[in-house]
Amino acid sequence: MRLITHNMLSCNIKGVANGFPLLIEAGKVIEKEVDFNPDFLRHMFAKIEWKALVEGARSMGYAELPEDSPDATVLDSDESFLKKLHHALLELHLEEGALVCPETGRKFPVNKGIPNMLLHEDEV
Amino acid sequence: MILDVLRSIRTCYRRRNLPSCGFYSTSKMREVKVKASSREFINEEEEEEENEISSSLSSVKSTPEIEKKYVHRVYDAIAPHFSSTRFAKWPKVAAFLESLPCGSVILDAGCGNGKYLGLNPSCFFIGCDISHPLIKICSDKGQEVLVADAVNLPYREEFGDAAISIAVLHHLSTENRRKKAIEELVRVVKPGGFVLITVWAVEQEDTSLLNKWTPLSPKYVEEWVGPGSPMNSPRVRNNPFFSLESIPETEVSTKEHKVENIPCFGLESIPESEESTREQKAESIIPESKESTIPVEGTLETLKKNQQEYFVPWHLPYHRAEVSGASASALASGLAKKDDRKGAVVYNRYYHVFSEGELERLASGVGNAMIVDRFYDKSNWCIVLQKAALNQD
Repeated sequence: MRLITHNMLSCNIKGVANGFPLLIEAGKVIEKEVDFNPDFLRHMFAKIEWKALVEGARSMGYAELPEDSPDATVLDSDESFLKKLHHALLELHLEEGALVCPETGRKFPVNKGIPNMLLHEDEV
Repeated sequence: MILDVLRSIRTCYRRRNLPSCGFYSTSKMREVKVKASSREFINEEEEEEENEISSSLSSVKSTPEIEKKYVHRVYDAIAPHFSSTRFAKWPKVAAFLESLPCGSVILDAGCGNGKYLGLNPSCFFIGCDISHPLIKICSDKGQEVLVADAVNLPYREEFGDAAISIAVLHHLSTENRRKKAIEELVRVVKPGGFVLITVWAVEQEDTSLLNKWTPLSPKYVEEWVGPGSPMNSPRVRNNPFFSLESIPETEVSTKEHKVENIPCFGLESIPESEESTREQKAESIIPESKESTIPVEGTLETLKKNQQEYFVPWHLPYHRAEVSGASASALASGLAKKDDRKGAVVYNRYYHVFSEGELERLASGVGNAMIVDRFYDKSNWCIVLQKAALNQD
C-alpha cells in the first residue's frame, strides 16, 4: 500500500464520523523506485490531505515532508520538494502492518502490501 | 458521443509520451526498517451494540447469503483459472480509460484480476475487489490494490478523477445494493468526474448461452437474502442443494410474476454442453471469435426475456482445482459438483442480468450525477455517468 492510497482510505464502519485518516502501524516497509512525474504530483497536490500524508510518511519512517502544507507555488519552483512528495506518495510501500481507525481503534490488516478493508457483519 | 466530449475536456492537458510503466517500475527496491509505533491505538473496551431490531432493517451493506455462496466463495475458488481467461481488453472500456486526462486517479471497484488496471499508462489506478485471491493476482502484477466491498467503499469522497465498474453490479442480488454500488462510485469521484458501468444484459447476443444458465425465481432469491430467512437454517446452509431438490419443478409460464412453483435448480437442469472452449467464450464479455447466433424458439424466448436471476456455471478443470482446499471443501459442502465427463468441478455464479433501460433507471435515481452516454455492446448494457460539477464563478 502506498501513501497515495492511504490518503484516500477511510474507516467505513457504521456510525463512525471521523474515520479518516487511518493511523498506520508499520511492520514492514519497503521502497520501490518509480519514475518521477512532476505533472502527476502537481495534479495530486490538490487532492492530498496534507497532514494525513505527513503523519503517514512519518509512521513509515520518512520524516522529510514539511509539517504544514506548502503554498502551491512551490510546485513550480522547488524540485526538491516535488522529489520528496514523489518519494512519500509513490515509493514507500507498507507491506506488513495495520491501518487503524482513529475513532474506534479497529485495525485493518495489511499483508503483502494489500490492505483488507472488509467489515465484519456487526460493523456494517 | 461521449468520447468527443471527453476529448474536448482534455484540451487543457497534453498527452505526454510517458514510459509505459511509469508508476510501476521497480528497478530498485529496499526494505526500510521502521520502529514500531509506541502509541496505543487499541481500544480494548468493546462498545455495547444493540441487536438490530429486525432482519427487515438489516443494512443494504450486509452481504446476502446468495452472494456469499454463489459469488464470493466461487470467485475465491476459481480465481487463478478465472484470471487466465480474462485477458482480452474490451475496446469500449479501453477507449473510456484512454480518453481520460493524463495523471487521472482511476478507481476500479470490482477490479477482478486487474485486467484494466494500468491500461492507460499515464494514469494512476487503484483497484479493489471483494475476492482476496483475485486481488493477490493483481498485487503480484505490481498493481495498487486492496480488498474491499463495492457496496461500501472505504474511500473518502471525491478523491478519484474517474471510476469504473466492469461486470460487477450483476453480482449484487438486490436492487438496493445495486443502487448503493452506483452511489458509491459517484461518491468517490470528484465533481465533474466520470463513471463507466457495464453489466451483463438479459438480451444476450448469443441466445444459446441461456441454455447453460439456470433461471432462479425472484421470490427464491429473496429467500436467500434476509438473515432471518429459512434458507439460513444450519441444515440448509450446510447443504445448499438439499432444499433445491425438494422444490417442485416450475410450470413453463410466460407470466412475469406470481410463479407458484419455484424452478428447481441444480446442475441436472443444465443441458450437457458441447466443447468447454465454447463455454469459456460464453463466460467472457468478448468472444474470442465471432459466433453465429443460434435461433431460439419463440416461447422459450419470451420466457427468457422476463427472467433476470440466474446461476451461470463455471467449469474449473480438475487439473486447475486444488487437491485440497477450496474445491475440496466446496464439493464436500455441495457448493460445487464434479462433472467427470468434462473433467471439471462445476461452480454456479449468481447473476442478476439487466434488462434494457434498467441500468439507466437505477442510475437516474442517483441525485448528483447524470447519464452522459448509454450503449449496448457485446451483450452488456453500459452507461457513463458524470458527477455534478461544483458551481464555479
